[in-house]
Amino acid sequence: MNPEEKIRISFRLNGREVEAHVLPGETALHLLRERLGLRGVKEGCGIGECGACTIVVDKKAVNSCLMLAAQLHGCEVLTVEGLESPVGLHPLQEAFLEHDAIQCGYCTPGMLLSAYALIISRGVPTREEIVRALAGNLCRCTGYHQIVDAVQDAARRMAGKEEGRW
Amino acid sequence: MEWIGRSIPRIGAQTRARGKALFGGDVPLEGPLILKLLRSPRPHARILSINTERAMKNDGVEAIFTAKDIPGRNLIGLITKDQPLLAHDKVRFVGEPVALVAARDEESAIRGVEEVEVVYEDLPAIFTPDEALDPGAVPIHEKGNLLHRRVVVKGDVEDALSRAHLVVERTYSTPFLEHACLEPDAGWGYVDKDGTLVIVASTQNPHYDQREVAELLGVEKERVRVIQAATGGGFGSKLDLTVQGFIGLALYHLRRPVKLTLSREEVFLATPKRHAMKIWMRTAARRDGRLLALEAKIICDTGAYSSYGVAVATRAAVHATGPYEIENVRVESLAVYTNNPIAGAMRGFGVPQVAFAHESQMDILAESLGIDPLEIRRINAMRPESVTATGQVLGESVGLLEALDAVEPHYREAMEEWKKGPRRPYTARGVGLGAMWYGIGNTGVRNPSTVKVQLDERGRVVLYIGAADMGQGSTTVLVQMASETLGISPEEMEVVIADTGLTPDAGASSASRQTYISGNALVRACRKLSETLLEEASRLMGLPRGELVLRGGNVVSKEKPERRVSLAELAALAKERGVSLEFEGHFDPETTPLDPSTGQGIPYATYSFACQMAQVEVDLLTGQVEVRRIVAAHDVGKAINPKGVVGQIRGGVAMGVGFALMEEFLPGSTRSFKDYHIPTAADMPEVIPIIVESSEPTGPFGAKGVGEPALIPTAPAILNAIADALGERIYALPATLERVCEASIRAGWPKMGKGGGPR
Ligand code: FES
Ligand code: FES
Repeated sequence: MNPEEKIRISFRLNGREVEAHVLPGETALHLLRERLGLRGVKEGCGIGECGACTIVVDKKAVNSCLMLAAQLHGCEVLTVEGLESPVGLHPLQEAFLEHDAIQCGYCTPGMLLSAYALIISRGVPTREEIVRALAGNLCRCTGYHQIVDAVQDAARRMAGKEEGRW
Repeated sequence: MEWIGRSIPRIGAQTRARGKALFGGDVPLEGPLILKLLRSPRPHARILSINTERAMKNDGVEAIFTAKDIPGRNLIGLITKDQPLLAHDKVRFVGEPVALVAARDEESAIRGVEEVEVVYEDLPAIFTPDEALDPGAVPIHEKGNLLHRRVVVKGDVEDALSRAHLVVERTYSTPFLEHACLEPDAGWGYVDKDGTLVIVASTQNPHYDQREVAELLGVEKERVRVIQAATGGGFGSKLDLTVQGFIGLALYHLRRPVKLTLSREEVFLATPKRHAMKIWMRTAARRDGRLLALEAKIICDTGAYSSYGVAVATRAAVHATGPYEIENVRVESLAVYTNNPIAGAMRGFGVPQVAFAHESQMDILAESLGIDPLEIRRINAMRPESVTATGQVLGESVGLLEALDAVEPHYREAMEEWKKGPRRPYTARGVGLGAMWYGIGNTGVRNPSTVKVQLDERGRVVLYIGAADMGQGSTTVLVQMASETLGISPEEMEVVIADTGLTPDAGASSASRQTYISGNALVRACRKLSETLLEEASRLMGLPRGELVLRGGNVVSKEKPERRVSLAELAALAKERGVSLEFEGHFDPETTPLDPSTGQGIPYATYSFACQMAQVEVDLLTGQVEVRRIVAAHDVGKAINPKGVVGQIRGGVAMGVGFALMEEFLPGSTRSFKDYHIPTAADMPEVIPIIVESSEPTGPFGAKGVGEPALIPTAPAILNAIADALGERIYALPATLERVCEASIRAGWPKMGKGGGPR
């Protein structure tokens, strides 16, 4: 394949159909953040080591810096911008606020999405499951405890309510 | 009190939860030019020539700048100006910026950087302070390789040593550390309508940035405006100029929007680190555990440029006794240049390193004297009116004994029950303590803050606070103080933060100083406003001033609460009468400079204290250390926002776990999170935060500070717990698997006990 030739892809992004022309080597992170303007998708390392760029693709949390944009074709993609609804914040966002799980906030979008993917696959996860699911998301500020609390709390509030989205 | 001591939600958290906060890399401008740096691949070399011709031929490359394009003074540095923004005659560390490329797109910028041709002539490179101090060493800077020597002496150490029952002498070492803020340094800039160069960046220090950029460009300070972007953690690394100078330089020449985002690799390579230290300590005690003397020699590897090196070496010396009263002290601390990366400020300014040493010494003494580790700390603990190593008599806010008391029940339980409880074979359990003290604010130098408050024409209170909030929560606690003083809720106020165009200079967000220093400044400003409002209201209502209070956005009569006048009415009235409702409050803690030859003086107006306890389980075969629990008792004076204090403690403990067990930056080889591990959610112990409030009379509502103290006792407590588990001690951080195994072998583990496992 010609590395300069663009590929046309389409996917659902935060509930909306989008189309894009992407280069074969372009990362999903680059497409979402730099070209589609979703600034909530953060870059912390670019090589899959920090989790700041986590998005949810077909119900799974992935590091968007490691995924090719072309691989998004046909997928359902969720970024932090798609969590809230017109009626308000998502229960995960609310729980993060209530539990003081946000200090600098740079890790927050990735944390929220890792947590989201966990909850839709596991329902109400145990603390250990949460810790395991978040172990790929680095946070330098909080010490994690508040984040784990928030996820647990949100999972209880969300119980069974998210299926409709997919 | 209505607003003090309440855990109101963190200001700004909601925008962050929604992914809408604009961090340094989230440029809201159309088509900015991309900036990229060419960095030196050599640790120490003369620059013979720089040729940009070929690089400039790239279509997308708009400009390339080198040292000769800097119109003003090409020298920067927080305390000592010894660092060029772009290297001119020589380079002094791998990663030092040599040329700045501005291009229309990322690819062109990268190609531009690759095609700049620099001819270097290598010089001998020096990677340890020992080599650097050798009389025959090549000078890294013209003035030589010693950046700073700080001495603190008091009493008669020789005499005390001769009287001592026990003298313990050991050497400790700690590595370079990386702050590892989740956000890599980034910023953008543009030229506004009146020609001001506007720099929006991730920073802890906007007013310093502004002064420094103006000097670099040789322009009036007012021509440069620095606004803090949402900042993804700082921990000291965003005190130095990181991107601001380059953005300023490009704006100066190009006058169009630019952006600069460092890659993670650049952050590892080229932003300041925690000083690697070697600490020799000799501690003398009486048979009853009372400390008689402390001697220390501290060698700080300050890397290629000074950054905060002088402050770190000084603070390390001042704090070397630990939070204990010792009559005879002789400490010498050196900051030494090497060709390693720049070492600057990192959460604790050298105190975490010395705390590892003094707390290890305390446990060694306790063991040899047969005294309980908690008891020996209690015997020597600073208390009100204790005299410090610098001869300062402490005031009344010294909450160390309370912190020890708070930890004690947990400690007894851990020692007597948990430690003896059932455990897996080939593991050993240990319990350890770590105590600390920490002077709030900069050391013996002026470090003022000014805060402005205004009641605008609509009757809205607007706070102008220069203090950068990098996630630690300064904005929230300052707003709470304003609410308390003015009797209105946080939602009813507007806050402008860290913008040199609008806010007065509050100094750096460092040294755990903003709650105490800017807090005091803010309270003073708000009091001036409230006094004026009460006066105006008294005139209007015909009631004596003493009968009026500010409450719920009104001035209200205490006796007849139905008699009230709103802030909006007062604002309108004041306008009519030409009374200004804009006030500044100023605060500079009362300190005196340290005497250069003895180190005597009053370096800080107040100190925070803390004690933490660690419970660890050590796998004797693999060297794996699992920290099970940390109990962290912190005297913060007064917790303005208890949840925020707990957040600082938990985050500090996490960083302390990293310092104790895993973090080590190796110059020349650490480049990514693959090489540099910081604690993940899975590495965290249970943490029990305990807030101790020994009110500080000079503090705003009694508050001191907690940002750095939170981290300091953790690693010492963990290392003491490991020593307790193994019966052997580790003297070099981090306690890696190898070091733990090695100590466990030294101790004769695994010893076979009943049931096949060690006892
Ligand atoms: S940016 Fe993708 S994992 Fe760090
Ligand atoms: S809140 Fe700062 S990195 Fe997590």
